[in-house]
Parts: sequence; C-alpha cells; structure tokens
Amino acid sequence: MRRHTFTRFAEALPAAVLAACSGPQSPLDAGSDEAAGIAILSWVMFAAAGLILVAVLALAAAAARAPAEQPRWATREGWVVAAGLVFPIVMLSALLAWGLSITGGGGGASSPPAAFRIAVAGEQWWWRVTYLGPDGSALFSTANELRLPIGQRVEVDLTSADVIHSFWVPGLAGKLDMIPGHVNTLPLVAGRAGTWRGQCAEYCGGAHALMAFTVTALPAPDFERWMAAQAAPAAEPDNAEGRRGRALFLASGCGACHAVRGTPASGTIGPDLTHVGGRPTIGAGLLPTQRGTLAAWIVDPGHLKPEVRMPPFPVFRGEDLRALAAWLESLR
Amino acid sequence: MRRTLVILGLLVALGAVGALLFAWSGLYNVAASVPHWPPTRWLIEFGLENSVETHARGIEVPPLDDPALVHAGLGHYEGACQPCHGAPGQPPNPLVRRMLPEPPYLPGQELRWSPAQLFWIVRHGLKYTGMPAWVAEHRDDEIWAMVAALLRLPELDDAGYRRLLASGARMPAGESARLLAAVGPAGEALVACARCHGLTGAGGGAGAFPALAGQSREYLMASLKAYALGTRASGFMQPVAGALDDEQMGRLADHYAAMPTPPVRPAPNAATERGRAIAERGLPERGIPACVTCHGGNALARNRLFPRLDGQHAFYLAQQLRLFAVGTRGGTAFAELMQATTHGLDEAEIRAVAAYYAARGRPR
Repeated sequence: MRRHTFTRFAEALPAAVLAACSGPQSPLDAGSDEAAGIAILSWVMFAAAGLILVAVLALAAAAARAPAEQPRWATREGWVVAAGLVFPIVMLSALLAWGLSITGGGGGASSPPAAFRIAVAGEQWWWRVTYLGPDGSALFSTANELRLPIGQRVEVDLTSADVIHSFWVPGLAGKLDMIPGHVNTLPLVAGRAGTWRGQCAEYCGGAHALMAFTVTALPAPDFERWMAAQAAPAAEPDNAEGRRGRALFLASGCGACHAVRGTPASGTIGPDLTHVGGRPTIGAGLLPTQRGTLAAWIVDPGHLKPEVRMPPFPVFRGEDLRALAAWLESLR
Repeated sequence: MRRTLVILGLLVALGAVGALLFAWSGLYNVAASVPHWPPTRWLIEFGLENSVETHARGIEVPPLDDPALVHAGLGHYEGACQPCHGAPGQPPNPLVRRMLPEPPYLPGQELRWSPAQLFWIVRHGLKYTGMPAWVAEHRDDEIWAMVAALLRLPELDDAGYRRLLASGARMPAGESARLLAAVGPAGEALVACARCHGLTGAGGGAGAFPALAGQSREYLMASLKAYALGTRASGFMQPVAGALDDEQMGRLADHYAAMPTPPVRPAPNAATERGRAIAERGLPERGIPACVTCHGGNALARNRLFPRLDGQHAFYLAQQLRLFAVGTRGGTAFAELMQATTHGLDEAEIRAVAAYYAARGRPR
C-alpha cells in the first residue's frame, strides 16, 4: 500500500512540476523572442547553479573525508583565487551581459520602429488601456485587455494613476514597474497567436492579487477588424431587454464613472464599457464576461473583489438586473 | 479579627435583606405628588450635577455662530422640547408641573450648564427624570444645533422666538387654510412639516431646512420612510416621520411634489466657479464623479429617486455632503452611491458645491 502510494506520487510529481512550465502565465512557455531568451537564460542559470552546487558539495565531502595530513594540492592558495574570485567574476559578468542583451537594458538601437503605441495605466485595481494613433492621440479606451498583431513590434507606455504597480506578462516579456508621474516603455512582440495572462507584480493595496489582464495576439487582418470595432461606438440595442438595460444604466448614475461611447454616459473614473461584452474577463481578470457574472458584479462588486472602488447596486433586482447585465453583455 | 469580619458580613447581608423586604412591603411611596425627603433630594441633585460635570469633560465645543444652527435647534425645540420645557410667552404647562422631578422651565432662565454639558445632556438624556436620549445618537451636528438654540433661548421674548421659528414666506391665512385642507386627513401632519419646511416647501431657516417643493414624490416618500425607519438617522426627523402612516406620507409627498419651484438660473460666475467645476466635471483624478450625471436635468433621463439640487439651501447641502463623506448618511436605495462619490471631498469643496447649487435657484 505504502509502495503503491509512493509510486503514484513519484509518477505525479514530474507532471505537476512540468505543468508549471506551460500555460498562459508561465515565463517558460514563451510566446515571444524576448520571453524565449529569458527562458533560456533561466534554464542556463538553473543548470549552472545546479552544477556549481554539486561541485561544491563534492569538494566539501572530499575535504571532510580526507586524512588529517592534507596532500599539498588540497591546501594550495590558488583554490581561493580561482574558485572564490576569478570564477564568480567571470561567471556573473557573462550572465549580466547576456541578461542585459535579452531584456533590452542596453538600448534598442537595432530594433525595428514600433508599429503603434498603447498607453497602459495601472489603477487600484485594474488596467486602463488606451490605443494611440500615430500622432499620439487616443483612438479608444478599453480595460484589462490588450490585443496585438502577431510579429509586429508594439510599444507599451506604462504609468500609474495612484501607487506603484508592475506590468508583467511572463509569457511575452519581463516585468516593468508602473510609476505615478513617469512613463516606462516596454516593447512587446508576440511571436505566435495565443492568449497570455498578465498580473500586477508589485503589491499595490488590498485587491493587488486580483489585478490581472489578458494579452491576445491575432493575425493582422483579425487585429485590424478588432481595432475598427473597438473604435466604433456601442451598437444600438436590437431588442426590448437591451433598451431597458441601457435606459437603466443611463438613469442610475452609472455614467458618472463609466463611459459608453454613443450614449450620454461619459464618466472617466472607471473602465470604458463601450465594448465590455467582448472582453474576456470582468473585474480585471477576475471572472469570465457573461451576463451572470456581470449581474453579480453590479449588485455587490466588493463581495467578489474586496475593497474595489465601485459601490454596490443592490437597488437592481430581477428583471431590471437581467436587462442591465444583458445589455452590457451585448456590447461586443 | 476573623470574628469581626464574620459579624460585618452578617450585618451587610442583614441590611440587604432589610432593603429587599422594605421594597417588597410596598411601604415606600412612589407617588409623584409627594416630594422627595429633603436629604434624598439633595443627594440626587448632588449626584446628577457631578455626573454631568464628569462626563462632559473633554467634549470640545465647535463654532456655534451659524444662524442656521439656532433655526434648526429651535424648530425641533418647538416640536419636541417645548411641551415640557416651555416656550417664551407661554406659561408652564400645569400637567408638566406635576412631574417629579419637574422639568426646568427654560425661557428667560439663566443657563445652569456649560455648552459641553448641555451637549452631553441632550445627547444622553438623564436617568429617572423623563429626559430622553437623542434619537439619532451619532448626529452630533443636530445635537450641537440644539445647544446653539438653548444658548439663545434665555434672551428670547415671545416675538423674537416666533420670528426665529417662522420659516419661508408669510402667506395670507386663507391661502394656508386652503393648502392644509387640500391634503385632507394629513393636514395635521402637514402642520408639523410646515413648522420648518413651510407650507409651500420652500424651506429656509438660514438654510437649516431643505426645500421640499418640486422634489419627486418617489424621493420624498423614500426619504420619509428612511427617516421613519431610522435608516436615515436624524433626531429631528425621525420623531416626526415615525408618527406617519403610509397614506399620510403619500399625501404629504404629493403635496410638496406639486409645489412650485423658482426657475433655475445660471449661478453667478466668480463666486461659485469652483463649485461649478466640481458639479459639472467632478474630480476624476480623485475618483469623484460629476454631480450633474445624476442631479443635472438635461443629458440623462432623470431617476425619480435622485433629488433636485438647483436652488437647495447651501447649509443643508453642505451638511448632507459631510454626512455622506463620513459614511453615516442613509436615505434612498441609492444613498450608498453618494458615500462612494463624496469620499475625499474636503470642507472647502463641500462648501463650494453647496454654494453653487444654492445659487442656481435663487433670484439674483
């Protein structure tokens, strides 16, 4: 019985360890050249650190088992100079140079110009995403979601509206801090189609752990279609429920914080909801976008995401709540 | 030594049993018609005086010079305190004079207590005297208004008292009789409303009493219910609203909803510019949305539960914003939105917004 359990454990362990190597938020499952470089760097560091550890342990064991009368070679001062000074200096310098070349710390003179820019601001506790035109003007605003054309170099201008956040999509690039009053620029090039998960990587207050987003890489034609759809105002509701939902949204003060382009709602405090129904998640990576999750969020967002800034709307119930959630879901 | 302790213990036990037997026998006379034995009376007053003095220590007195405080306090005094403590120009009530202890007749009397002590007494009431504690314990602003009124009371004669009580425009007797008759069985309740808000709902009292005219029936009903249930805490309003049934509330809400309002006019620019900016654009960088999204009339379909702010009195608006900002203001189902909205507004901003909305309905 014991043997059986152990066997099962031994079989499951590698699978569990390797499972962490793939997935939408793994730095080892690279979706870009930069992430691949970081992954190789990591593996090399793991391997080298393992070899050094084994060598040190072997030397320590040999020293412990050696006779009291040490042979001459073992007490030579050259060991300290070679293994204690020369080896670390050479090794760490090489790793530093390689690491800087991968993460762009040496400047990107050789990199191609960016296809376009995206401004991303961290706010407690969500991501305000604004796509910028060639002249730097805002094309449209969305939230908690980036979409990129495959193979094109995009520059992301990172800043913060309140405290320090950190923008990290492990599958695509290294992490970069978002600092109030300062813009850090992170180039992103997605090498293949896919969706990656990003997460705030700097503790930023109560709901820090629930501040995530997605990055989706699309073939160029799909991306152009998405851009055009995002820039368009919200669609007119095509049924009575949708019209009722929109009327409730406008009459209940939602527009004080949220904008829905094409309606009088033009608040800028919370996320722009013009195409909220088309985003993969609500609540910054918290829940999939469906009318059920939207309704739960509206009634009591703090229950799902403690300390969230949006106040609860228990005033919506039954048919009203369904209509409101259905209209938001229809905003694709 | 041990023997002494045993004897002492026995004596204490005997005393307790004696006291119990005395209470059980019913020989003590609880009649209010029989005054206290003078030493008892002295002891009670000695204890009361020292208790108030001790408990009022450390209470800081805020500025009490805003005339609205006196109006607010006297409006409540006339409804709730006057029956026991008397009003200028009215002799003490003979029924009240037979209470024990007799509630002090306040008009024209020199004040026995300091402002901090008055605050403590009004807030907590006094055991065994019939003096009740404040209905909404955490509405310190209301209690300080009572203190401001009590400080003013000694110097008021009949005419002065009536002048401070009168709210809104004076109207011919025939007109007020017509308005009272129109609300039918709720006429008596309307008199209580009108004491502060006026028969036409213009409010006033240097801004202490909000204008009710032209608010929606739904908003007035929801507010009356919230007051009656105590979910919108107010020691002024809960006793009045709590006495109303749904039908009376409906008639009163209909009455005030139908009263005419002065036309909205643009507020004069320079003085209220800051308030206008906050009202129209909010302070988005601090998460404070624009007031007009809900309280403006034009762009969005009005929700019947959102009150009209144009022409509302500044003192009242500022006071409500302060209560919202600290999170203690209840009200309609939407009250919680205002707590999120006003969180972080500072005193200068609150005054600016209140002044802006007040100026929008007032004739220049």
